[in-house]
Amino acid sequence: MRNNDNATNAYLTFALGAEKFAISVNSVQEIVELEQVTKVPNAPQYMLGIINLRGKVLPLLDTRLKLGLSKTEITKKSRIMVIDLETNDEKNVQVGALVDVAREVIELSPADIQNAPDFENYKTDTPITGIVNSHGDITMIMDITKIFSTAEIIQLNHSVN
Amino acid sequence: MDSNQKRFVEDALDLLNELDEGLMQLEMNPLATAPLEQVFRTMHTIKGGANMFGFESIGQLAHQLETLYDLARQSQLQISDALISLTLHAFDKVRDLLKEKDVAKINDPEALKDHLKAAANFLKEVEAGSSSDLTKTSITIHKDELATFYLQISPSINITEDGNHPLVFIVQDIAGLGTSKVILTKKHSGEVLHWEVFITTTTPQSELESYFIFVENECAVKYKRLLACDLFEQPQFVEYLNTLGAQSLDMAKIEGFVALRKEACDQQKDEDNDESANNASGKRTAHDSYIKVSKRKVDDLLNWISELIILQAQLTTTASSIQSAALADVTEQLEMITARLRDTSLEIGLVPVETLVTKFKRLVRDLSKQLDKKVNFISEGSETEMDKDVIEMMTDPIIHIVRNAIDHGIETPAERRAAGKSEHGTVKLKAFNSSSYINIVISDDGKGISKENVLRKAIERELISAGDNLSDEEIFDLIFHPGLSTASQVSDVSGRGVGMDVVKQKINDLRGNVSVKSMSGKGTAIHIKLPLSRSIIEGLLVNVADTRYVVPLNVIERIDRIPYADINRENKVCKTVVVNEEPLTVLSLRQQFHDEVNPPKTTDIISVLVNGVKKGIAVDKIEGKMQTVMKPLGDTYKQQDFISGSTILGNGNLALVLDPARLFSLTQQ
Repeated sequence: MRNNDNATNAYLTFALGAEKFAISVNSVQEIVELEQVTKVPNAPQYMLGIINLRGKVLPLLDTRLKLGLSKTEITKKSRIMVIDLETNDEKNVQVGALVDVAREVIELSPADIQNAPDFENYKTDTPITGIVNSHGDITMIMDITKIFSTAEIIQLNHSVN
Repeated sequence: MDSNQKRFVEDALDLLNELDEGLMQLEMNPLATAPLEQVFRTMHTIKGGANMFGFESIGQLAHQLETLYDLARQSQLQISDALISLTLHAFDKVRDLLKEKDVAKINDPEALKDHLKAAANFLKEVEAGSSSDLTKTSITIHKDELATFYLQISPSINITEDGNHPLVFIVQDIAGLGTSKVILTKKHSGEVLHWEVFITTTTPQSELESYFIFVENECAVKYKRLLACDLFEQPQFVEYLNTLGAQSLDMAKIEGFVALRKEACDQQKDEDNDESANNASGKRTAHDSYIKVSKRKVDDLLNWISELIILQAQLTTTASSIQSAALADVTEQLEMITARLRDTSLEIGLVPVETLVTKFKRLVRDLSKQLDKKVNFISEGSETEMDKDVIEMMTDPIIHIVRNAIDHGIETPAERRAAGKSEHGTVKLKAFNSSSYINIVISDDGKGISKENVLRKAIERELISAGDNLSDEEIFDLIFHPGLSTASQVSDVSGRGVGMDVVKQKINDLRGNVSVKSMSGKGTAIHIKLPLSRSIIEGLLVNVADTRYVVPLNVIERIDRIPYADINRENKVCKTVVVNEEPLTVLSLRQQFHDEVNPPKTTDIISVLVNGVKKGIAVDKIEGKMQTVMKPLGDTYKQQDFISGSTILGNGNLALVLDPARLFSLTQQ
């Protein structure tokens, strides 16, 4: 790392189509493979259903659809990131986020991260908090908890119904 | 507030409930020493704790009042209504204060000033010897007497022994009052001809009779008091009953046993008389020992047990696919242990209904004073245990029902006299278990619900049309309709019709149901039935287009299989189909939520009772009955509220638990 005066943070990188993204590992519980999904009727399209994670029932969300991209095509590489969401009332809510590929954990210091330009074509308000430009290879840092905040999901559902 | 103070507040709130209970007992029985001692002790504990943890003004108040009760202990002061009221009000204020989060606020000297003054004045009066004008209350010492009764209950309507008729439960309740034996005689058609009950109980005959108040028109009851001791102690009698089989009772033989028993009994009575005198007051002190455990730990435990049950189911499925006798053996044993573990752990979270009862005693006391009515509150089965969360959720609805009973049900003393009843009305709260349900019955012997009034109001508000022919049950069910209150005058006690619908909603949320019985002039009984556990659900597992759903068993009326084409005639989701020669509104889960690729040949119609109306849910196939752990879907799927949760099947797949009431309201929009 170039600047050693700043402590580094760990990020998990994943891909949605050709784009590379990174999220803080602190909010990722684990990564699992896609198995049986039970669809819940009358839910918005990006809410894929519920999954059984070793006896725990989690909602599974399509990250691509949520960001306004096209629906995720299920491949062998499709992975579920199990994400911890913090809510106001100290309850620990977990959701599964379906992504095309989950890659690796990288260490980044704050100096590695540049401010993000405005992303007009993404639906959610500024989920991108910064970008990392490594010799032209761009990784976008995403505030995952913001994308899947429960309050927003509920609000979104309202507008769908 | 530091942790010690927090703990004191928690303990003190419990102590205050005990205190209320004690004071109420004392009010009924001003000369009794046991409740007086209990009240004194509790106050003393509160005082000690309050002073130790820095709540001086509460300590001071407790001290003042303790002084008064100490005088009463030394017989220098007689317990009076005034003293009880003063104490109740003072500790009500303390209770309110303790709910504040801020120590400074709790310690505000102004807050308890009035109550301190009142207590000090009371003490002054006592010391001045002017307490002689206090109302003297006389009490009669009533000793319960054991007796054996013979009851013959013959229903005049057709019911079956496992039917849902209240009479079936009443017989069970009666049998639960003491040592008993119920003999059921059936007609050839399978319906009940009569029940014959032998019961040894301390319950007087008048109270036994009161059980049948609401079903008087539907049965005939014969009572016979056989003798004043326990007939079941006569071995020949018990043997005779056990060997009876299908024969009918020979009353002459019974008489013989009675005579035999009577002789033995009379001898024993003389010996017992000296002993029994001291035993009456010891009832409350014989406690189990208790430990206090935080709710979170219990919840955690239950969560782990749920996981265990799910794993157990998976193991059973896997083990049955591997043909190994040894594995099957272990799995079976593990299954048994898991079931026991589940039952025990579920019990941990249960608390006796008694906590509710104390609250209601207070409510009844305050309300009857406020409304100038005379009301006795009787509770039965208060040792019945319920989930703490459920008790908390049910408190407000039940308070509402009790309020209604006193406000609208019980008449004023003058009216009661005119109607030939005793001046004191009775409100009864009865709790008991039946299979996997908790039953709570709140009954009163007031004027009952006027069917005509309910009908008139309902027609006025266009809930029904004048020509509708409704059964009694359907009429009484209307009181749960939003915006229908039968009180001709709205009082500040029982609101303005925003109540019973909420009550019903709460009960539905807990997957229970509620029914009303009422007889004009005789009274009203409201029967609430709740599942034992919120997380364990009994249901039918069904399959629709490869998705599995669970329909809760408590709402299911019947199941029919019809050709799939029959529900496919009209191009609507909700349609009327003739099932069992009756037209039924049917919602097809397949057509509502799935596509119609590869439809099955037949479809199973599950008839459910939704808000008192029979409706059908069409599914592809019923797979079986199951008892499972329900897991909530969480906030993400809050909008899909017709799914109340999910459950994990033996193979690890998930099934969705349906909420039928909400499912049908989905199609009404």
